[in-house]
Amino acid sequence: MIKTVDHAGAEGLVHIENLVKRYGSFVALDHLNLDVKEGEIFGLLGPNGSGKTTAINCMLALLKYDKGMIRIFGQEMAPDNYQVKKDMGIVLQNVAVFDELTVYENIDYFCGLYVKNKIRRKELVDEAIRFVGLEEHRKMRPRKLSGGLLRRLNIACGIAHRPKLIFMDEPTVAVDPQSRNRILEGIMELNRQGSTIIYTSHYMEEVEQICTRIAIMDHGRCIASGTKEQLTGMIKTGEKITIEGVALDEEQLRKIRGLPHVFQADYENGILRLQCTEAKHNLVRVLHCLEEQEIHFGRVFSEQPTLNDVFLHITGTQLRD
Amino acid sequence: MTVFRGYIKVIKSNRLMICFYLAIFFAFSILFQTTAKSADTEMYQMRGVRIGVINNDDGALAEALVRYLSGIHQITELDDEISVLQEKLYYRAADYIVRIPEDFYEKCISEGKELEVTMIPGSYTGIYVDQQINSFLNNAAVYQKAGFTEEETADAMKNRENVRVELADDKSVAGDNKDYIYYFRYMPYLYLAVFGFVLGDILWSFQKKELNRRMMASPVPLRRQKLEGMLCMSLFGVGIWVLLILGAAVCYGKSWTGSANVGYYILNTLALLFCTLSVAFLAGTISPNRDALTGIVNILSLGMCFLGGTFVSLDVMSGSIKKISQFLPVYWYEKANDILTDFSVMTETARNQVFQAVGIQIVFGAAFFCLAVTAARYKQTEG
Repeated sequence: MIKTVDHAGAEGLVHIENLVKRYGSFVALDHLNLDVKEGEIFGLLGPNGSGKTTAINCMLALLKYDKGMIRIFGQEMAPDNYQVKKDMGIVLQNVAVFDELTVYENIDYFCGLYVKNKIRRKELVDEAIRFVGLEEHRKMRPRKLSGGLLRRLNIACGIAHRPKLIFMDEPTVAVDPQSRNRILEGIMELNRQGSTIIYTSHYMEEVEQICTRIAIMDHGRCIASGTKEQLTGMIKTGEKITIEGVALDEEQLRKIRGLPHVFQADYENGILRLQCTEAKHNLVRVLHCLEEQEIHFGRVFSEQPTLNDVFLHITGTQLRD
Repeated sequence: MTVFRGYIKVIKSNRLMICFYLAIFFAFSILFQTTAKSADTEMYQMRGVRIGVINNDDGALAEALVRYLSGIHQITELDDEISVLQEKLYYRAADYIVRIPEDFYEKCISEGKELEVTMIPGSYTGIYVDQQINSFLNNAAVYQKAGFTEEETADAMKNRENVRVELADDKSVAGDNKDYIYYFRYMPYLYLAVFGFVLGDILWSFQKKELNRRMMASPVPLRRQKLEGMLCMSLFGVGIWVLLILGAAVCYGKSWTGSANVGYYILNTLALLFCTLSVAFLAGTISPNRDALTGIVNILSLGMCFLGGTFVSLDVMSGSIKKISQFLPVYWYEKANDILTDFSVMTETARNQVFQAVGIQIVFGAAFFCLAVTAARYKQTEG
């Protein structure tokens, strides 16, 4: 019987401690520590090659690791821990279905690996088909489905048995925006229905949109973790202001740099970029300053700091470098 | 048994391909046995030669020789004139001329002098008749040495002509009745093609990297998954085997089912089944993609069948090719098949040779199976 400990300060649903995985001299995971609580959508964000998929593979016991410990549902994870595996679902980066089977047969097959009761399985498969919106395609073979529909089938195969914990490894790679939105909505719905989700992506917008907590990974290490607000709060930037079509001389630029809460101002090719610490009315103050000096300007943008800014701040490189 | 059911579903989706190969097999078997049968009939038909005879002897043995030749060829009595003989040969009215000298018995049998003959230079018919006359003279010489008179020798030679050999073939395993030898000869190609393409394809499907990850993350133990897969593939193989054996029974009826060797045929095809299933398992495991699988199966099936004696009979293969072929399981299947064709009733030596061939096929099968398991494990680790 699996018992999940989930009170403040206690071990989470998934607990990773000092995980090390090496491929020869290359260190794919470098003392990784993570703790995923029940009911979360936990995002693993990082550029390609940062170790997200390796971490997922270790958690699924598909890869042997060199050092450390992984506990899921309070039990040590191992390839033969079928009790734990029963309550896990997996949605992989590449579509993993049988070309020879129909949509229904594929979902039924993968659900059958977890659920033996035929009647119950039929209910679950029908539910999964409805959930991903493939009702009209249930008798079709995968090769006749579009990329977006295939991704949905891939998700249905991973979640049909109603797992408590779902691993999603970049499930929206190469998906059109419409299908992507549908998939993201589906993930949030699964979470509302009670599943804990570990979601990896290198698209920060997705992670920002759906994840309740995020771990940023780079070179196999977790370099920061927390809610989006906690992460963006780690950096000095509270607001980014961009003003286009503006002509400034040195004196005018100096005055802008002297404004309260502005800690960085760059001017190039008629575009003024300002970074301010978090404070009220930053934009109003800047625009007022421009008006006072009778400086004309074009479009104005104000942005909150993103996870990319956090990544940039910590590593000195862009997330998508 | 979810994995087992999955395999069954994937096999079902390949049913058209299976039917296609079965149809090709039956068509090929029927086509080859029809053409081979008609070729056999023409090949061994006895042909008569136009022979001119100048008989200068009135003895009993000379008469016996003429009668012997007339039983096989078209005989024309000729006058002993050179111009007539030249004309007959020139216009091909005679292909061969025999001049029986006076005192034929004394000169050609007792004294051993040569019989004078004339033939068209370089003609094979001349050599053919030469052999028959030599045979006659040799036999007559034996009788003469045994103390027979000319009349007694002539009588003895006459009696020899009346001797007819009758083959008792109550089991219908000799002669023209064995149509099913072609059916069994082409079976390796069917096995290799159907199992290679269908089972290889299924294995490849199940071993796709991402699909494999999903299966490994499931609560069904890996060993159980493999066992269920193998069970399904074995059952499929046995199903095809039963179909083919029933096919042989229906197509050839008692000529095969009543044959004394029917059990050996079944044993041989079972050994081949095990071996070809292992080959298919190996092909499906080592193929990096579907296109490569097609290539590998084509090379294995056609290569093994050409070198192993399926498409080209082992009898016409050179010794060096046969030496190479011995490293292929199909060679041993065909060898056992040839023995079963040659022996209507098995002798102990023949039986041992069949068992040896069957055993070698099983060893080959076990080797291919071990290779496939090793390759599968390597792939798993690599993944």
